[in-house]
Amino acid sequence: MTLRVGFVGMGRMGLAHYAILNTHPEVTPVALCDQSKQVLRILARKGEVATFTDVDRMLAEAPLDCLVISTPSDSHAELIAKALERGLHVFVEKPFCLLPDDGKRVLGLLDGKGLVNQVGYVNRFNDVFLEVKRLLDGKVIGPIDHFKFEMYGRTVTRDQTGGWRAEHAKGGGCMYEFASHCIDLVNYLVGPPERVTGTLLHSIVSEKVEDVVSSSLLYEGGCCGTVLVNWCDPTFRKPSNKVELLGERAKIVADKYSYRVYLEEERADLGMVKGWNTRYVTDIAQGVRFYLRGNEFSRQLDHFVDCIQGRAERNICSFRDGHETDRVIHEMFEDARGGVR
Amino acid sequence: MDRVIFGDNQFYGINHMSEEKARALSERFADFRDVTAVLDVAYDCGVRGFMLNSNEWAKDIVDYMRSSKDRYDDVRLYPYIPYPHKYANAVAEKGIITTLIDVVLSDNSAKGAIGMIAKGGQTLIGRDVMKLMELLVDVEMKIFRGMDVEVVFLQNIVTDLLLGLGFVDVLAAFSAYIEEKYGAKGGFMTMNLPYCVEQLATGGVERPVVCAAINRSGYLMNPDVAEYEETLKQGGFRAVAMSIFASGGIRPKDAIDYVCTQENMAAVVFGASSRSHIEETMGLIERTFNGAVERT
Repeated sequence: MTLRVGFVGMGRMGLAHYAILNTHPEVTPVALCDQSKQVLRILARKGEVATFTDVDRMLAEAPLDCLVISTPSDSHAELIAKALERGLHVFVEKPFCLLPDDGKRVLGLLDGKGLVNQVGYVNRFNDVFLEVKRLLDGKVIGPIDHFKFEMYGRTVTRDQTGGWRAEHAKGGGCMYEFASHCIDLVNYLVGPPERVTGTLLHSIVSEKVEDVVSSSLLYEGGCCGTVLVNWCDPTFRKPSNKVELLGERAKIVADKYSYRVYLEEERADLGMVKGWNTRYVTDIAQGVRFYLRGNEFSRQLDHFVDCIQGRAERNICSFRDGHETDRVIHEMFEDARGGVR
Repeated sequence: MDRVIFGDNQFYGINHMSEEKARALSERFADFRDVTAVLDVAYDCGVRGFMLNSNEWAKDIVDYMRSSKDRYDDVRLYPYIPYPHKYANAVAEKGIITTLIDVVLSDNSAKGAIGMIAKGGQTLIGRDVMKLMELLVDVEMKIFRGMDVEVVFLQNIVTDLLLGLGFVDVLAAFSAYIEEKYGAKGGFMTMNLPYCVEQLATGGVERPVVCAAINRSGYLMNPDVAEYEETLKQGGFRAVAMSIFASGGIRPKDAIDYVCTQENMAAVVFGASSRSHIEETMGLIERTFNGAVERT
């Protein structure tokens, strides 16, 4: 079955999603919605897609099977609700909804509809982190005792403090826009924490929002860990994630390009010796149908299509997963009470 | 086209295999004199083609080559444009079209060329994709003025985005514009060689120069090695291989044995930071690549 897809929000991410799905043999993009007529005019210059500046009109007039939402985060909950009402499968950029209460309401709308729902936490589809997940699922490292997740980048620089990134209400700030990736990676690899403590929100260059997030995460059974995120570190050319997991039988240290496993015992079945074992992305990366920006971006959208076409067992990053990440984010804000310090 | 082209990624601290190696590289080339020293070694080893991204470093490198004209009397450049990181933050803030228009309008020569004031120019340029492309090319090509330019490559992020949008006509126009305005060949970097070659053919671009990662391990080769090998066998384009060592993941001899024995291979791009690596790689390519390092 060919899927008819609509897109709302044609900014940087929307454009990438459109280009990736436009090359998918089972997908036909039929409608684009954005506030900028200039953007729409250029994207639709071949006359193959309908364009709208009003999302309600698009949903009413365009024959769609699914909707890809890449608008500012404060609009996600409302747009998802509208799409679900019309029986559309939905892919939404991260974070899912800004407020957990909105997320809960949206999850309620899903009940019984059998619609595919996915949030764009793209790290879940990264070659290295997929492999780390497989090692964890395969009980290679045993129960996790302690972890440390970090994320750095120079998304915000000293000369840039304005725009939507400078407002929490619009989904700006390091927590929503940047740290959410790191927190979601914790949820994906370790699971959502029982509670958070010692959360610190710190501003370096931004006036109204945090630039640094640090927090401790506690689990039932004694596991604990920390996240440390900074989105205005000029020494990083691209956003960089670092993951350290210490388990009963092994330790894993990973970033997007490589991972190292320290094993207490040899695992010949995995081709790993006792002690340190390093694997590089150049060895483990799997190609994708069409590459743009990184193969995880194509992989997550192809997974969305696979889910709709019934080829995937379960969604790797469902609304429920997105909601769990929203919940942890909300608890960190609550924990830091008083907001930006 | 030169059969061997010296790449520039190492100078900017780019390594696809490890963030640590990338950091070590950027430290290695913190002093510009270390960059020119490596360029000198490459030239002495017989390299005549140099690939440069249109960024601040390239400006210094080109200035260096100009000021050492006696030394670099037989050099051909293979620029790849644009420098995407320059645009990344602005694109997230303002959207891609506004960013591109702002870039063009902040460039004085472009303003003169289209003879308009900034305000009215916005909508006018935004309506004409081809004109916008031409103006952006001119902005990026400024730093290479007066140099012998053989091929101008479009960066893979742009090539692949335009392919994804179904704008192969813009790619064809890019190729024609480079030929007409710069007397060079328009080339395309891509992470999707088979798809790119197929689309360029439907777009009527004849025997395009296409630069892609080509290595035995399949790294950055989409969808896979088998389709790349099939596309290379079919031909109809001139292949330029990059990422041949997969950022160090493959032994030099194996890497070059593989790349140089593929069909329709016009040139090989490699980057290295030391004399021994440059000498070793040049030696291997000379021995494997039809015996001689000559222009094709």
